[in-house]
Amino acid sequence: MGTNRMTFFSIMATAAVFMAGVLCSPVTMAAKDPVVVGYIGSFDSDTGKSTIRGAEIAIEELNAAGGVLGGRQIKLVKADTREDVTEGIKAYEYLAETEKVDFIISGSIDDVSLSWLPRMAEYKIPTLDTWTSYVGIIDMVVNEYDKYKMYFMNVACDYALATLYVDFGKDILADKMGWKTTVVLQEDTAFGGGVFELVDQMLAPEAGIEIIDHIVYDTNTVDFSPIFSKAAESKPDFIYLISSVRSQVPSSQYVKLQVPVPMTGINVAAFGKDFWNDTGQMGGGTSTLSPIPSVGFAMDDRTKAFVEKYEAKYGNSRPIFPHFNGFNAYYGMYNAFNAAERAGGFAPLDAWVTEMENEDLKIYKDGKLWLRYGFWKPGEIEPRTNREYTHNIKFDITQPLDDGAPSMVVIQWYEDGSTAVVYPEKYATGEFGVPSWIK
Amino acid sequence: MAQVIIQGFLLSGLYALIAVGFTMIFSVGRVLNLAYGVYIMLGGYVYYVAVQILSLPKFPSFLLAGLAGIVFGVLTYLVLVKRFEKDPIAVEISTLILAVVMQAVIVLIFSTAPRSMWPLIPGRFEVFGVSILKNILFATAVSWVVLGSLMVFIHKTHIGRAIRAVSMDAKGAAVSGIDPQRINLVTWALSGVLGAIAGVFFATYTQLDPGMWVFPLITAVAVVIVGGIGSIIGSLIAAHIIGFMEVATTTWISADLRGVFTMALIIVVLVVAPKGLLGKAEL
Repeated sequence: MGTNRMTFFSIMATAAVFMAGVLCSPVTMAAKDPVVVGYIGSFDSDTGKSTIRGAEIAIEELNAAGGVLGGRQIKLVKADTREDVTEGIKAYEYLAETEKVDFIISGSIDDVSLSWLPRMAEYKIPTLDTWTSYVGIIDMVVNEYDKYKMYFMNVACDYALATLYVDFGKDILADKMGWKTTVVLQEDTAFGGGVFELVDQMLAPEAGIEIIDHIVYDTNTVDFSPIFSKAAESKPDFIYLISSVRSQVPSSQYVKLQVPVPMTGINVAAFGKDFWNDTGQMGGGTSTLSPIPSVGFAMDDRTKAFVEKYEAKYGNSRPIFPHFNGFNAYYGMYNAFNAAERAGGFAPLDAWVTEMENEDLKIYKDGKLWLRYGFWKPGEIEPRTNREYTHNIKFDITQPLDDGAPSMVVIQWYEDGSTAVVYPEKYATGEFGVPSWIK
Repeated sequence: MAQVIIQGFLLSGLYALIAVGFTMIFSVGRVLNLAYGVYIMLGGYVYYVAVQILSLPKFPSFLLAGLAGIVFGVLTYLVLVKRFEKDPIAVEISTLILAVVMQAVIVLIFSTAPRSMWPLIPGRFEVFGVSILKNILFATAVSWVVLGSLMVFIHKTHIGRAIRAVSMDAKGAAVSGIDPQRINLVTWALSGVLGAIAGVFFATYTQLDPGMWVFPLITAVAVVIVGGIGSIIGSLIAAHIIGFMEVATTTWISADLRGVFTMALIIVVLVVAPKGLLGKAEL
């Protein structure tokens, strides 16, 4: 009996010690607390929703696979910027101070990202931008690495976009179509001005295409008749459109007016599949530069599976197909958490930054390197442009594009509503064309 | 030059149509209805839903859009304006808030994404090498018909004369047996339908988006200030001045400055002729 009593007490004591150990162990404490990911960007725009949904699907997959960082679940909290710089600052502060997020994923536009960058540097929260492509931000990381090292951008910056687009100008517009002159139709925004500067510097010397007129228009312009008339009067071989705000207006009026000059360039509205219905099925003949993946982009198995999940989950709720930043958010979440697993979390910051810099997610299609979610490291020089792109996505802008994904593709909308990638050749699924009314 | 004349004429017709409903409210009710742009937005969205989502025929959809304008105009008057009748500033603030709320409602239903609409009359043709859309030409024609009908209505019908009487002197009209509140209600309904009709043409020419109420409101204010508060003819003339000026600025100076000259014109008119070109107290 005495032995039994001793045994009983021994078992109880052991159990108590075990329970205390379990309850107090870091693993169990951590299991109670989710990892908090903050989304910053617009709640209503197609691009904002793309980032949110890409992140949501990745989080669902990671949680379903047993969680992260020792079995913790990921929780997503969101802050709306309404695509406004002041709201952007407030949104970042909310995520940092109220939600105390571990990591931020952004679907912000250029100006908004620029507004919250100082806050990011202050709070030192690891942050990944999926839409902004402003090279000036990358230059800030290059020039003030210690201050901005927590920032990563997984869309190719506009300098890389423009470089490959000039190749398209040379290979397709100049050599294949025989076009030598253009009128640039540019919206009056920071984005428009920045892209024009690059095009102005590169198009003539690199592609041999002369800019014979440059028309800047207000983004609230409702009547493009006189603008298209003015452009056509200069008799260019084509119109180069730079439009990121209310792009449907010039697109649909171009079609309605049947402007007798081909038009290509950057038309952000045409990035999404909803463009066709948004233009009242009048967007045929539109072509635009787009970051990748895009509509008309041939997909590898993993990306295809993501799209199937997206379509099953969101159905007909727009955007019915993720914009490029939706893919970036999905793969970016994997990058960020893979890095966090190796670094032991998002803090200490330096450990996470180092591991994020080591991230290199390569996705193959038919044995070819198709997409690459890695980053340029500090001091690494991109050979073609001979400059640094620290923490920008590891793009490839040198043919035959076998060291990474290209910075951009050119997509073409046809008059039956179908789409294809027409450049670069490795990714092409269709032919570049002009609207049927152009002789 | 041919381009400026033709495109200026077409754009001016649209601007006149946009502004006339706004002018009526100010002349009769003596208030600035800052929710006027919402009638335009509502007309566009109702027509869009009817034609491009529900696949209804164009003409009934057009009538439906007009009806939506009437309902919203009447509701604005009954729910908001009537309560603040003696306080024009409260009316301005409340109608502005209403416009912002309606924008949020549109975002909630349709998202922020802009959409293009099919034209009422598809197709185009060229005159002197200038491309003319049949839709905008039709809008100009409708604009002239509507404005002409409105003038006849105002001057030749009993209700029209009552509207003029109230616009001249509401108390005097009441003494002579006219119910100013009923006349106000009719005027708000008229303004609503005119705004919604303008909205269908404006949206089929440009695009639909939740912020589309702002530009027509600014245009309407500019037209009313330049034309003269309370004058339909003045509004018509001002719409043509502004329309031609915008096209000429775009063609000959800079597309980026088209709105700047309109604003400059407003300032000049306010300084030189504060009552506008044909300003008067009544319609």
